[in-house]
Amino acid sequence: MSGPAGSLVEVEGLAKSFFLRSGIGLRRVRRELRAVAGVSFTLDRGETLGLVGESGCGKTTTGRLLLRLLEPSAGTIRFAGREIQALPERALRPLRRRMQIIFQDPYGSLDPRMTVEEIVAEPLVVHGVGDRAARARRVRELLDRVGLATAHADRHPHEFSGGQRQRIGIARALALEPELLVLDEPVSALDVSIRAQVVNLLADLKRDLGLAYLFISHDLAIVRHLCERVAVMYLGRIVELAPKERLYREPLHPYTQALLSAIPVPRPGGRRRRIVLAGDVPSPLDPPSGCPFHTRCPRVMELCRRIEPALAEVRPGHRVACHLHAAPGGVVAV
Amino acid sequence: MRGAPILSVRDLTTELATERGRFVAVDGVSFDLYPGEVLGIVGESGCGKSMTALSILGLVPQPPGRITGGRVLFEGRDLLRLPERELQRIRGAAISMIFQEPTTSLNPVFTIGDQIAETLRRHERLGRRAARARAVELLAKVGIPAPAERLDAYPHELSGGMRQRVMIAIALACNPKVLLADEPTTALDVTIQAQILDLLERLQAELGMAVVIITHDLGIVAEFAHRVLVMYAGRVIEEGSVDAIFDRPAHPYTRGLLASLPDLEGESERLVAIPGSVPQLGELGPGCRFAPRCAFAEAACRAADPPLLRVGDRAVACVRADRVDPAGERVA
Repeated sequence: MSGPAGSLVEVEGLAKSFFLRSGIGLRRVRRELRAVAGVSFTLDRGETLGLVGESGCGKTTTGRLLLRLLEPSAGTIRFAGREIQALPERALRPLRRRMQIIFQDPYGSLDPRMTVEEIVAEPLVVHGVGDRAARARRVRELLDRVGLATAHADRHPHEFSGGQRQRIGIARALALEPELLVLDEPVSALDVSIRAQVVNLLADLKRDLGLAYLFISHDLAIVRHLCERVAVMYLGRIVELAPKERLYREPLHPYTQALLSAIPVPRPGGRRRRIVLAGDVPSPLDPPSGCPFHTRCPRVMELCRRIEPALAEVRPGHRVACHLHAAPGGVVAV
Repeated sequence: MRGAPILSVRDLTTELATERGRFVAVDGVSFDLYPGEVLGIVGESGCGKSMTALSILGLVPQPPGRITGGRVLFEGRDLLRLPERELQRIRGAAISMIFQEPTTSLNPVFTIGDQIAETLRRHERLGRRAARARAVELLAKVGIPAPAERLDAYPHELSGGMRQRVMIAIALACNPKVLLADEPTTALDVTIQAQILDLLERLQAELGMAVVIITHDLGIVAEFAHRVLVMYAGRVIEEGSVDAIFDRPAHPYTRGLLASLPDLEGESERLVAIPGSVPQLGELGPGCRFAPRCAFAEAACRAADPPLLRVGDRAVACVRADRVDPAGERVA
């Protein structure tokens, strides 16, 4: 079942537009919001790719498109070698077992009326896996796997703390033995002292089960801890993608540099020079011409206002979309 | 060390009534704030850090809240015993506060110019025109581009970062001596957070006001504050200079918090997690509140809640505090 390139996921030119209606009568307008404006990346089996960026950059939408929880406007998604962007729901279903998602909010994503056992067993029931006894055994195995006691099976979500609820969500996602987990800010809602517990659990699961993660987060320290490669998004595009060590040691895109410098370091005197970007992220309803970052870029050039730089490989595995780092012979002159 | 404190909080105790009974949300919190100082109060959700700030300004909604004890001394007066009219004269003027979510603290039906002018007219008795002129100055000071045009904007027309700047402008309108900043950047993206922290640092240095910054982010404390209080389940468990606490944390909880953070540099090893979860206010035992999660807990820890005692360069509430050696390693 493995794809020709060996990658579990291959995404190319993926885009998603939402259309907003505003105004009334003759002045009624339909405005296009390009949440994801053509992103390409691959994810290998057992690999963790971090998808980072600020709110509205398109990282969550990208994760949902990948699982076909949203319909893409353009682009291709290959999962295990098979194009899935246009598969009808029926044909998609057997593939759905192999890809799961974990959400940020462990409170909102669990049905308060169901017991933990029912929640974790639900995907097994839906996909008709095993009989009642086999499912009960599997639920116990899964609870144990995520560090919950078997005795918890009869309780309801409200009886658990945030960290435990996130463990329930993880157990449910693992029920069908997926190969890919999309993790959308899985620890952001948790308290600091609990976050490390869940991060460690995710690291263990990945190692033991050979899972591939698309790890969506705004927390660059946790991404560095868990991921092998990192993609930085800005206004619906990937602006830089590199192996973790390179990205954190030698970021090339001015946005990545600013983002990394802006994180407060919990070490007195450990402070790096903060690059403070002027202004706000432009509205995706009215994106700037040329490079989407040019309105805030401290190193903006004339070219940047006119031409959008392509994501080009500048060193093996290190891609950046910036005119400062055009690949040899890369930029097409106007 | 820096003359007399500008604000002294002593044994502040605030209770909350819930469906399951009354709980002590702030339990005997004491600290001093010195002029021109930045004090960080750090802790996880429910530790009582925000409730401490709200109690200082008499902003705890009553009910369900009730301040049941303590004193808050500011310029020779106990704020907890001032009549509401007197307190109103101080609140928003000599002591002002900014909150996490500017959207809920700004009134959506008034322009930002009106809201800044209201503060100035009430506290400084400025006329309409003078208040408007001063509002433009304040918006410029907090880095709002084209401030004169922005005066007539409504809060929803501004981005989150811009709204927080407006909140800061309102807080600074009457040249406060103390600014209480409750998670001022938590709702913001990291590049916008950097702008706001930069602004607060610059204004603090320029105006010389004392700042209490309340946050769950240890990074913000390390970069911005001079001194830090660490709170856990309603109590201060460690207090000292940022250098002392971050370099040589003494309380096992402080150590645990710092050790649990992934690093942006260096090798990424397995994170050191604190087991268990933060206790609910209703389920506190008689002993140290951290004892159920503490690797060093002994019988004495479960018997009585240890007081906050001065040990060398800090204060720490831990039975084993006297066995903390200066290098930060525990003896025996």
